[in-house]
Amino acid sequence: MWFKDALPYVAGAVLLSVFQIVTLASTGNPWGVSGVFANWGAWLFELFGGSVDKWFYFSSPGAQATLNAGFLNYPGTWRNLGIIAGALFAAMMASGFKIKKIKSWKQVAAAALGGLLMGYGARIAAGCNIGALYSGIASLSLSGWVFAAFMFVGAVIGSKLLVKYFM
Amino acid sequence: MSKEVVLDCLGEACPIPLVKAEKALVKMAVGDVLIVQIDHSCAMKNVPEWARNQGHEVELEEVDDGEWECIIEKMK
Amino acid sequence: MTEGITRTSSRASARGGSRRKKKNQIPIALVIFVIIAGIGVWLGFKGENLLLYWVLGLAFGFILQRSRFCFTASMRDPYLTKSTSVTRAVLIAFAITSIGFTAIKYGYFANGLTIPGQSYIATISIATAVGALMFGVGMVIAGGCASGTLMRIGEGFWMQVISLFFFIVGSLWGAHDFGWWKRTFILGGTKVFLPDHLGWLGGLMTNLLIIAVLYVIAHKWEKKNSNQLSH
Repeated sequence: MWFKDALPYVAGAVLLSVFQIVTLASTGNPWGVSGVFANWGAWLFELFGGSVDKWFYFSSPGAQATLNAGFLNYPGTWRNLGIIAGALFAAMMASGFKIKKIKSWKQVAAAALGGLLMGYGARIAAGCNIGALYSGIASLSLSGWVFAAFMFVGAVIGSKLLVKYFM
Repeated sequence: MSKEVVLDCLGEACPIPLVKAEKALVKMAVGDVLIVQIDHSCAMKNVPEWARNQGHEVELEEVDDGEWECIIEKMK
Repeated sequence: MTEGITRTSSRASARGGSRRKKKNQIPIALVIFVIIAGIGVWLGFKGENLLLYWVLGLAFGFILQRSRFCFTASMRDPYLTKSTSVTRAVLIAFAITSIGFTAIKYGYFANGLTIPGQSYIATISIATAVGALMFGVGMVIAGGCASGTLMRIGEGFWMQVISLFFFIVGSLWGAHDFGWWKRTFILGGTKVFLPDHLGWLGGLMTNLLIIAVLYVIAHKWEKKNSNQLSH
């Protein structure tokens, strides 16, 4: 059945571009993913009694307003949750959904270390593979290319570590 | 007589199925068949693609929901 | 001999035996669709673009999953498997989106309006380099980048749920330290918006040129490392 086959990569590239452009046109900003996680982290932290109100990162009026409005009222929450839901639906539609449980402690370690590095790195580099790389380059910002170059170096290092320690 | 090797890569994150497939294939003789069991959607695309690039005969079969077998016959 | 993984079996019977009865998941997909639509309606009433963001997210997630699009693979595969098909697709995405974004931005500029999306013109400093490097290492180890992690949670990977949790923790940690990075490096950095230095057309053309050059290199790299007759 036609909808069971994967789309070619290039088709994905074209479609993603369409929606990126729609995103800029309709929301006033390009697509971003990791910035949302910082706010999720702040709300989680507050759930456990912490406060980020004195942190420089959250000090701007905009950031404070976002935090005060809460998790459910944050547009970023819904775009990121939408990605999960969209992927879930796509997988189910092609009868390709399957729960993949953790296979070894190596996977847990890899996921944890990898996640921490991505989270921290994205904050100090002002974005992730979407916000800093994809949106940055498409926005004609030189920062996008700088990010790309160092991300590539990181990927090579990561590959060596993966094969050596996490396989 | 050609040998058949089954590589269970279920639950592995990409690119591990591909790296394991590469390593297994190197140890095999021409004419042997490698069957890679995959449940990662990226791997079901990149393992066959890599194998074809290397000049091998490749078949991809869906054996269950979200599970595939990539059958590679080593050609060189 | 590869003891652990060698199993000689007659293929026909193994194939027949290993074929479990495939479940058709389309009924579940329909239920999910209804839930997604329900959430959409609720968000529509809540207001403030939430529904728009939900739809955009759905689109991105759907496309990423269907095409197995993976930014991690685009950077990792040229090194690890010598394949550049994803890399080239990512470059195509950069190119098309650059054109679209520039058209929109120029439209606002030409009409004397504030250009949208300029907050994504990030300051270049050591923090950019260090952060990008960390991100590159992390995404390969974790088996997925930011978008890829979310996509794979949707596909049922428990590993990416763990990755997401630590991504959130790492983000909070990074936000905590951000003040230091800002004072120490970012304040001394510079923002470079290509059109400011090369004009709108010049900026776009330069971007596309870089993309084109990388595309050719990627193509040649894969050809060089494959055993197929060129086609």
